[in-house]
Amino acid sequence: MERNPMRRQLQTMRKSLFDQGHLDEQFVQLEELQDDANPNFVEEVVTLYYRDSARIILNIEQALERKPFDFNKLDAYMHQFKGSSSSIGAKKVKAESTVFREYCRSRNGEGCMRSFQQLKKEYATLRRKLEAYFQVARQAGPMETACRPK
Amino acid sequence: MAPAFPSGDDWTNFGIGGRPNYKRFSFRDIVLRNRLTALVVDGVNFCRMVEEGFLRACGVETQGVDNGDAAVELIASGAKFDLIVIDMYLPILDGLETTRRIRAMGTRCKMVGVSASFSERDGQAFLAAGVDALSEKPLSPEILVPILRELDGQYSSI
Repeated sequence: MERNPMRRQLQTMRKSLFDQGHLDEQFVQLEELQDDANPNFVEEVVTLYYRDSARIILNIEQALERKPFDFNKLDAYMHQFKGSSSSIGAKKVKAESTVFREYCRSRNGEGCMRSFQQLKKEYATLRRKLEAYFQVARQAGPMETACRPK
Repeated sequence: MAPAFPSGDDWTNFGIGGRPNYKRFSFRDIVLRNRLTALVVDGVNFCRMVEEGFLRACGVETQGVDNGDAAVELIASGAKFDLIVIDMYLPILDGLETTRRIRAMGTRCKMVGVSASFSERDGQAFLAAGVDALSEKPLSPEILVPILRELDGQYSSI
Protein backbone atom coordinates (compact mmCIF):
# COMPACT_ATOMS: atom_id res chain seq x y z
CA MET A 1 0.00 0.00 0.00
CA GLU A 2 1.50 3.35 -1.05
CA ARG A 3 2.14 5.50 2.04
CA ASN A 4 2.93 8.74 0.30
CA PRO A 5 -0.42 10.57 -0.15
CA MET A 6 0.65 12.22 -3.41
CA ARG A 7 1.67 8.83 -4.80
CA ARG A 8 -1.66 7.39 -3.70
CA GLN A 9 -3.48 10.23 -5.44
CA LEU A 10 -1.39 9.60 -8.55
CA GLN A 11 -2.22 5.90 -8.55
CA THR A 12 -5.92 6.67 -8.14
CA MET A 13 -5.83 9.14 -11.03
CA ARG A 14 -3.95 6.68 -13.18
CA LYS A 15 -6.32 3.81 -12.45
CA SER A 16 -9.27 6.06 -13.22
CA LEU A 17 -7.81 6.96 -16.64
CA PHE A 18 -7.72 3.26 -17.51
CA ASP A 19 -11.00 2.28 -15.82
CA GLN A 20 -12.90 5.05 -17.61
CA GLY A 21 -11.48 3.89 -20.93
CA HIS A 22 -9.48 7.02 -21.72
CA LEU A 23 -6.17 5.14 -22.01
CA ASP A 24 -5.11 1.71 -23.17
CA GLU A 25 -2.07 -0.56 -22.99
CA GLN A 26 0.00 1.71 -25.22
CA PHE A 27 0.25 4.24 -22.38
CA VAL A 28 1.73 1.52 -20.16
CA GLN A 29 4.30 0.78 -22.89
CA LEU A 30 5.25 4.47 -22.91
CA GLU A 31 5.63 4.46 -19.14
CA GLU A 32 8.05 1.57 -19.43
CA LEU A 33 10.28 3.73 -21.61
CA GLN A 34 10.59 6.24 -18.78
CA ASP A 35 13.77 5.83 -16.76
CA ASP A 36 16.52 7.90 -15.16
CA ALA A 37 17.85 8.89 -18.59
CA ASN A 38 14.34 9.93 -19.75
CA PRO A 39 12.46 10.82 -16.53
CA ASN A 40 9.75 12.85 -18.27
CA PHE A 41 9.39 10.77 -21.41
CA VAL A 42 5.65 10.22 -21.15
CA GLU A 43 4.83 13.86 -20.48
CA GLU A 44 7.12 14.92 -23.35
CA VAL A 45 5.44 12.51 -25.74
CA VAL A 46 1.96 13.58 -24.69
CA THR A 47 2.90 17.27 -25.02
CA LEU A 48 4.22 16.63 -28.53
CA TYR A 49 1.07 14.70 -29.37
CA TYR A 50 -1.17 17.61 -28.43
CA ARG A 51 1.04 20.01 -30.35
CA ASP A 52 1.14 17.83 -33.50
CA SER A 53 -2.49 16.85 -33.42
CA ALA A 54 -3.76 20.42 -32.90
CA ARG A 55 -2.71 21.08 -36.49
CA ILE A 56 -4.66 18.08 -37.78
CA ILE A 57 -7.74 19.10 -35.79
CA LEU A 58 -7.55 22.54 -37.38
CA ASN A 59 -7.19 21.02 -40.85
CA ILE A 60 -10.29 18.89 -40.28
CA GLU A 61 -12.26 21.87 -38.95
CA GLN A 62 -11.37 23.90 -42.02
CA ALA A 63 -12.19 20.99 -44.32
CA LEU A 64 -15.62 20.64 -42.65
CA GLU A 65 -16.34 24.29 -43.43
CA ARG A 66 -15.95 23.70 -47.15
CA LYS A 67 -18.94 22.29 -49.00
CA PRO A 68 -19.23 19.82 -50.54
CA PHE A 69 -17.10 17.77 -48.18
CA ASP A 70 -13.95 16.24 -49.58
CA PHE A 71 -14.42 12.89 -47.84
CA ASN A 72 -11.14 11.51 -49.15
CA LYS A 73 -9.21 14.40 -47.64
CA LEU A 74 -11.17 14.19 -44.37
CA ASP A 75 -10.44 10.46 -44.22
CA ALA A 76 -6.74 11.05 -44.86
CA TYR A 77 -6.53 13.64 -42.05
CA MET A 78 -8.35 11.36 -39.66
CA HIS A 79 -6.13 8.43 -40.63
CA GLN A 80 -3.13 10.47 -39.53
CA PHE A 81 -4.89 11.62 -36.37
CA LYS A 82 -5.84 8.05 -35.49
CA GLY A 83 -2.24 6.90 -35.84
CA SER A 84 -1.06 9.69 -33.58
CA SER A 85 -3.74 9.03 -30.97
CA SER A 86 -3.00 5.31 -30.97
CA SER A 87 0.64 6.06 -30.26
CA ILE A 88 -0.13 7.59 -26.87
CA GLY A 89 -2.87 5.11 -26.00
CA ALA A 90 -5.73 7.60 -26.33
CA LYS A 91 -8.39 4.89 -26.45
CA LYS A 92 -11.65 6.88 -26.69
CA VAL A 93 -10.13 9.38 -29.11
CA LYS A 94 -8.91 6.53 -31.29
CA ALA A 95 -12.33 4.85 -31.20
CA GLU A 96 -14.08 8.04 -32.27
CA SER A 97 -11.53 8.46 -35.09
CA THR A 98 -12.63 5.07 -36.40
CA VAL A 99 -16.30 6.14 -36.25
CA PHE A 100 -15.47 9.33 -38.16
CA ARG A 101 -13.65 7.35 -40.85
CA GLU A 102 -16.66 5.05 -41.24
CA TYR A 103 -18.83 8.11 -41.88
CA CYS A 104 -16.29 9.36 -44.43
CA ARG A 105 -16.40 6.04 -46.25
CA SER A 106 -20.19 6.08 -46.34
CA ARG A 107 -20.11 9.75 -47.44
CA ASN A 108 -22.25 10.78 -44.44
CA GLY A 109 -21.55 14.47 -43.82
CA GLU A 110 -23.90 14.82 -40.84
CA GLY A 111 -22.33 11.78 -39.26
CA CYS A 112 -18.86 13.24 -39.78
CA MET A 113 -19.80 16.48 -38.09
CA ARG A 114 -21.44 14.74 -35.12
CA SER A 115 -18.53 12.39 -34.72
CA PHE A 116 -16.01 15.22 -34.92
CA GLN A 117 -17.78 17.11 -32.15
CA GLN A 118 -17.66 14.00 -29.97
CA LEU A 119 -14.02 13.45 -30.84
CA LYS A 120 -13.08 16.99 -29.84
CA LYS A 121 -14.84 16.47 -26.51
CA GLU A 122 -12.94 13.26 -25.80
CA TYR A 123 -9.67 14.87 -26.94
CA ALA A 124 -10.18 17.88 -24.62
CA THR A 125 -11.26 15.69 -21.70
CA LEU A 126 -8.19 13.51 -22.01
CA ARG A 127 -5.95 16.56 -22.24
CA ARG A 128 -7.44 18.01 -19.07
CA LYS A 129 -7.08 14.74 -17.18
CA LEU A 130 -3.51 14.15 -18.36
CA GLU A 131 -2.46 17.70 -17.47
CA ALA A 132 -3.82 17.20 -13.96
CA TYR A 133 -2.13 13.80 -13.77
CA PHE A 134 1.29 15.13 -14.82
CA GLN A 135 0.98 18.05 -12.43
CA VAL A 136 0.54 15.63 -9.52
CA ALA A 137 3.29 13.37 -10.93
CA ARG A 138 5.75 16.26 -10.92
CA GLN A 139 4.89 17.06 -7.31
CA ALA A 140 5.04 13.43 -6.26
CA GLY A 141 8.55 13.01 -7.66
CA PRO A 142 10.01 10.09 -9.62
CA MET A 143 8.43 6.68 -9.11
CA GLU A 144 10.61 3.60 -8.65
CA THR A 145 9.85 1.09 -11.33
CA ALA A 146 10.43 -2.62 -11.55
CA CYS A 147 12.04 -2.15 -14.94
CA ARG A 148 15.40 -3.76 -15.38
CA PRO A 149 17.99 -1.24 -16.60
CA LYS A 150 19.38 -2.01 -20.08
CA MET B 1 -2.04 -8.17 -40.22
CA ALA B 2 -1.11 -7.12 -36.67
CA PRO B 3 -2.64 -9.36 -34.00
CA ALA B 4 -5.40 -7.95 -31.80
CA PHE B 5 -4.02 -6.03 -28.87
CA PRO B 6 -5.51 -6.50 -25.40
CA SER B 7 -8.04 -3.76 -24.80
CA GLY B 8 -8.30 -1.57 -21.75
CA ASP B 9 -11.27 -3.70 -20.65
CA ASP B 10 -8.86 -6.59 -20.13
CA TRP B 11 -7.07 -4.74 -17.36
CA THR B 12 -9.06 -5.98 -14.41
CA ASN B 13 -6.32 -6.07 -11.84
CA PHE B 14 -3.82 -3.39 -11.03
CA GLY B 15 -0.89 -4.16 -8.76
CA ILE B 16 0.92 -1.72 -6.54
CA GLY B 17 2.34 1.06 -8.69
CA GLY B 18 -0.71 0.76 -10.89
CA ARG B 19 0.75 -1.76 -13.31
CA PRO B 20 -1.64 -4.25 -14.85
CA ASN B 21 -0.98 -7.88 -13.92
CA TYR B 22 -1.91 -9.11 -17.42
CA LYS B 23 0.93 -11.24 -18.88
CA ARG B 24 1.99 -9.68 -22.15
CA PHE B 25 4.98 -8.89 -24.32
CA SER B 26 7.03 -5.95 -23.09
CA PHE B 27 9.77 -4.14 -24.95
CA ARG B 28 11.94 -4.52 -21.88
CA ASP B 29 11.68 -8.33 -21.77
CA ILE B 30 14.05 -8.85 -24.69
CA VAL B 31 17.80 -9.13 -24.09
CA LEU B 32 19.83 -8.99 -27.28
CA ARG B 33 23.15 -10.81 -27.50
CA ASN B 34 24.26 -9.02 -30.65
CA ARG B 35 24.44 -5.44 -31.85
CA LEU B 36 21.38 -4.68 -33.96
CA THR B 37 20.66 -1.48 -35.84
CA ALA B 38 17.36 -0.02 -37.00
CA LEU B 39 16.04 2.85 -39.05
CA VAL B 40 12.62 4.39 -38.34
CA VAL B 41 10.97 6.24 -41.21
CA ASP B 42 7.95 8.17 -39.93
CA GLY B 43 6.85 11.68 -40.84
CA VAL B 44 5.03 12.30 -37.55
CA ASN B 45 7.68 13.49 -35.06
CA PHE B 46 6.28 12.15 -31.84
CA CYS B 47 5.25 8.82 -33.44
CA ARG B 48 8.84 8.46 -34.60
CA MET B 49 10.03 9.36 -31.07
CA VAL B 50 7.86 6.59 -29.63
CA GLU B 51 8.96 4.01 -32.23
CA GLU B 52 12.64 4.89 -31.74
CA GLY B 53 12.11 4.78 -27.98
CA PHE B 54 10.68 1.24 -28.16
CA LEU B 55 13.56 0.01 -30.31
CA ARG B 56 16.16 1.57 -28.02
CA ALA B 57 14.41 0.03 -25.02
CA CYS B 58 14.94 -3.32 -26.75
CA GLY B 59 18.65 -2.51 -27.02
CA VAL B 60 18.65 -1.67 -30.73
CA GLU B 61 20.82 1.19 -32.03
CA THR B 62 18.24 3.32 -33.76
CA GLN B 63 18.16 6.23 -36.17
CA GLY B 64 15.13 8.08 -37.46
CA VAL B 65 14.22 10.11 -40.53
CA ASP B 66 11.00 11.94 -41.23
CA ASN B 67 10.52 11.32 -44.94
CA GLY B 68 11.00 8.69 -47.63
CA ASP B 69 13.55 10.65 -49.64
CA ALA B 70 15.88 10.92 -46.64
CA ALA B 71 15.57 7.17 -46.05
CA VAL B 72 16.49 6.37 -49.65
CA GLU B 73 19.46 8.76 -49.53
CA LEU B 74 20.71 7.25 -46.30
CA ILE B 75 20.62 3.72 -47.71
CA ALA B 76 22.17 4.90 -50.99
CA SER B 77 25.04 6.45 -49.01
CA GLY B 78 25.90 2.99 -47.72
CA ALA B 79 24.18 2.94 -44.33
CA LYS B 80 23.21 -0.59 -43.33
CA PHE B 81 20.45 -1.58 -40.95
CA ASP B 82 19.16 -4.88 -39.62
CA LEU B 83 15.63 -3.55 -39.46
CA ILE B 84 13.67 -0.73 -41.08
CA VAL B 85 10.35 0.40 -39.64
CA ILE B 86 8.50 2.45 -42.22
CA ASP B 87 5.18 4.31 -42.18
CA MET B 88 2.94 3.83 -45.19
CA TYR B 89 2.12 7.54 -45.41
CA LEU B 90 5.24 9.67 -45.67
CA PRO B 91 5.86 13.19 -46.92
CA ILE B 92 7.83 13.78 -50.15
CA LEU B 93 8.11 10.10 -51.13
CA ASP B 94 5.39 7.77 -49.81
CA GLY B 95 6.04 4.57 -47.89
CA LEU B 96 5.26 2.24 -50.80
CA GLU B 97 7.62 3.93 -53.24
CA THR B 98 10.31 4.35 -50.58
CA THR B 99 10.12 0.62 -49.84
CA ARG B 100 10.35 -0.27 -53.54
CA ARG B 101 13.42 1.94 -54.00
CA ILE B 102 15.13 0.58 -50.91
CA ARG B 103 14.55 -2.99 -52.12
CA ALA B 104 15.68 -2.06 -55.64
CA MET B 105 19.03 -0.99 -54.18
CA GLY B 106 19.53 -4.57 -53.03
CA THR B 107 18.61 -4.04 -49.37
CA ARG B 108 17.55 -7.38 -47.91
CA CYS B 109 17.07 -6.42 -44.28
CA LYS B 110 13.80 -6.97 -42.43
CA MET B 111 11.25 -4.23 -43.07
CA VAL B 112 8.12 -3.66 -40.99
CA GLY B 113 5.42 -1.46 -42.49
CA VAL B 114 3.30 0.57 -40.07
CA SER B 115 0.12 2.56 -40.50
CA ALA B 116 -2.75 3.87 -38.38
CA SER B 117 -4.89 1.16 -39.95
CA PHE B 118 -4.55 -1.20 -42.89
CA SER B 119 -7.27 -2.08 -45.33
CA GLU B 120 -6.66 -5.46 -46.92
CA ARG B 121 -5.71 -3.69 -50.14
CA ASP B 122 -3.25 -1.33 -48.40
CA GLY B 123 -1.67 -4.22 -46.53
CA GLN B 124 -1.27 -6.29 -49.67
CA ALA B 125 0.20 -3.32 -51.54
CA PHE B 126 2.73 -2.66 -48.79
CA LEU B 127 3.76 -6.33 -48.71
CA ALA B 128 4.04 -6.36 -52.51
CA ALA B 129 6.25 -3.25 -52.32
CA GLY B 130 8.66 -5.21 -50.15
CA VAL B 131 7.91 -5.02 -46.42
CA ASP B 132 8.09 -8.34 -44.58
CA ALA B 133 5.50 -7.64 -41.89
CA LEU B 134 2.79 -5.16 -41.04
CA SER B 135 1.93 -3.50 -37.74
CA GLU B 136 -0.88 -1.10 -37.06
CA LYS B 137 0.22 1.88 -35.03
CA PRO B 138 1.27 1.83 -32.29
CA LEU B 139 4.18 -0.47 -33.09
CA SER B 140 3.22 -3.74 -31.48
CA PRO B 141 5.66 -5.66 -29.26
CA GLU B 142 3.92 -8.86 -30.40
CA ILE B 143 5.20 -8.11 -33.92
CA LEU B 144 8.53 -6.48 -33.06
CA VAL B 145 9.96 -8.69 -30.29
CA PRO B 146 9.84 -11.97 -32.30
CA ILE B 147 11.46 -10.19 -35.27
CA LEU B 148 14.28 -8.87 -33.07
CA ARG B 149 14.80 -12.31 -31.53
CA GLU B 150 14.99 -13.81 -35.01
CA LEU B 151 17.54 -11.19 -36.14
CA ASP B 152 19.54 -11.67 -32.95
CA GLY B 153 19.47 -15.43 -33.50
CA GLN B 154 20.74 -15.06 -37.07
CA TYR B 155 23.86 -13.33 -35.78
CA SER B 156 24.39 -15.91 -33.07
CA SER B 157 24.30 -18.80 -35.57
CA ILE B 158 27.02 -17.27 -37.79
